[in-house]
Amino acid sequence: MSGHQPGAQGRERLGGTDPFRSSDGTVPYLARLREARARSTPSEEPEEAPASAAAADPGPPVPEVALEDPKPRDGWFDRAAGLLLDRDEERRLQAAAVSCGDGAYDRLGISIQTCRRTLALFKLLHRYYFRVESSGHEQIPEKGSAILAGNHGGLLPFDAAMAVVDVCLRANSPRLVRTIVERWVGSLPFLNVFYARVGQVIGTRENFRELLSRQELVLVFPEGVGGIQKRAADRYVLQPFRVGFVEESIRSRAPIVPVAFIGADDQAPILYDIKPLAKLLQLPVFPVTPTFPLLGPLGLLPYPVRYEIEYGEPFHFYEEHPQSVIGDPQAVRKMVERVRGRIQSMVDRRLRARER
Amino acid sequence: MRRVLVSHVDSRLARRLIKALYHDPEVVLVLGLGTGPAPGYLKPYRDKCVYQRLDLARPRHVLNLFRSERFLRTRPNSVVHLPPLLDARRVPGKLPVAVAETRCLIEECKQRPEIERFVHLSSGFVYRAEPGNANVVSEEQVLDFDAASEIRAFVDADLTCQAELKNPEFRVTILRPATIVTEAGEVLQSPPLEVPEAPLGFDPMLSVVSERDVASALLLALHADCPGIYNIAGREVFPRSALARSLRAVARPTLPRLLSSAVSLARQTLDLLRGSESGCRRYGLALDTRRARESLGFEPQYRIELHGPDGRIETVAVR
Repeated sequence: MSGHQPGAQGRERLGGTDPFRSSDGTVPYLARLREARARSTPSEEPEEAPASAAAADPGPPVPEVALEDPKPRDGWFDRAAGLLLDRDEERRLQAAAVSCGDGAYDRLGISIQTCRRTLALFKLLHRYYFRVESSGHEQIPEKGSAILAGNHGGLLPFDAAMAVVDVCLRANSPRLVRTIVERWVGSLPFLNVFYARVGQVIGTRENFRELLSRQELVLVFPEGVGGIQKRAADRYVLQPFRVGFVEESIRSRAPIVPVAFIGADDQAPILYDIKPLAKLLQLPVFPVTPTFPLLGPLGLLPYPVRYEIEYGEPFHFYEEHPQSVIGDPQAVRKMVERVRGRIQSMVDRRLRARER
Repeated sequence: MRRVLVSHVDSRLARRLIKALYHDPEVVLVLGLGTGPAPGYLKPYRDKCVYQRLDLARPRHVLNLFRSERFLRTRPNSVVHLPPLLDARRVPGKLPVAVAETRCLIEECKQRPEIERFVHLSSGFVYRAEPGNANVVSEEQVLDFDAASEIRAFVDADLTCQAELKNPEFRVTILRPATIVTEAGEVLQSPPLEVPEAPLGFDPMLSVVSERDVASALLLALHADCPGIYNIAGREVFPRSALARSLRAVARPTLPRLLSSAVSLARQTLDLLRGSESGCRRYGLALDTRRARESLGFEPQYRIELHGPDGRIETVAVR
């Protein structure tokens, strides 16, 4: 018998809160079962809650962060990150990381330690390489779930990286942006791990809903791979949008913030796409750019173009339509086209301003 | 009042369950089944628990049990079917989930009108893992029919029970737990952790759950009138490498480091080229436990923590 019992140390560690035994003689799991039964009493599930009632329930509040002094870290990378990030930036990252919980990893694989190291490096790209100019931060909700929907370009997703750094370091209320990425990225060795550790998430409906239910700020590129397949001649012409992000926005009552990226389409202009080779290598595109494949893998690096990011006025489709509209493909498509039209007009306006 | 038949009572998880059933006022009798001699821990519970030794994989043995004097005297009205739970590091490459056992037991049980409930402990690794380091999977996710044999055994046992889900007189509940961690630091039911090597460039996130929470979920499933399928997982997820490190820290014969690395790298490269390993060794599964929370009232009461450079595993009560 004693061989099966946890040792004294183990009992102490467990704090004596065995769910199977309690001091008053009750059986805790039975109490929990009764609670669950009470909760799940049959109700005529109002599939479409009245907009006003739902609006009154903004979901669980995002916990306020107590800004602590950054802790000293041991590793070489961490020390380097500590040198690159100033005190204010450390505090902003701490505040942004609140939504990820207090564990080393969250359920979708983000590691705040890796985020910190990466932020330190990408801050340099943000400030000195791409020289990002951004505006409209007041449009980003300070709390609660929201979807950032932007145009996509460039072979490597530096537009997403710049948005993550920008929102973390420049937004009124720092938040950690979780980017939705294509499924095929998840099958790439090393990259799939790195992406997950810095907060990028594979684009499945379950993952998307999980993020929105946790009141996260999610960045999507509704063009999908169409965005990076564009040739140089089609730069800044938005490709057809997918509809899932609008459906999830209505379902989760999350606003959609349109985002225009200028610069991403110039960072590696595609002259030609060798489709048979792309198919053979199971890649979405095999590009020929002015530098790739001429310079080998180095040719994939982006040119030091100036980036501009503009956050537009949010769409609140869930206030205009009931949830049942999700079942109407034409209505959803119209909403998607409204978002696409807004982003296109923001991009065009920025391009005209840049030409002047 | 419940009279419960529990299979494979020779694991640590079963010990937790039997202990809880013993203290449960709604349970009047427990009939434990196992393949070996009666486990020692049953001695203090003799007034409420009886033990029967038999091979569940043999239909004749199971039939004999159901016709036996002992069975007729105890007249169980609920069944908790546990798979043989072995520590992944002690039995590398083997997870003996006997499909035949599940089939024999459920076939006999459904013919007995007095048996109302059947709770089956399956595994969270029955799901097909999609590309990605961590993907949330709900109970609707497609099962992995192309998996390696040890996972396929879980899938087949699960399907055997699923076939009875629509039987109105026989209430079947299937629990699919994540990697189970015991207080002693054992890791149960975790195919990705059976082999120390992993495909190069992949480090999937694995959901974990404490054995105490699994026992609690089994009890909830036993008492709740909610047949169906439920994912069971704790709040924590860990990369496979971190959990594997913790396993190796306990016991693992090692070659000299360089040689070991070279062999491991060669094997990984071959695996990567062949693509022969199961999806769950490359891609992560984060079990969505919303349904279990809403229907069964399941809420994990224990946290799993990894400490130190060797990743020592600890189970800590949630305050």
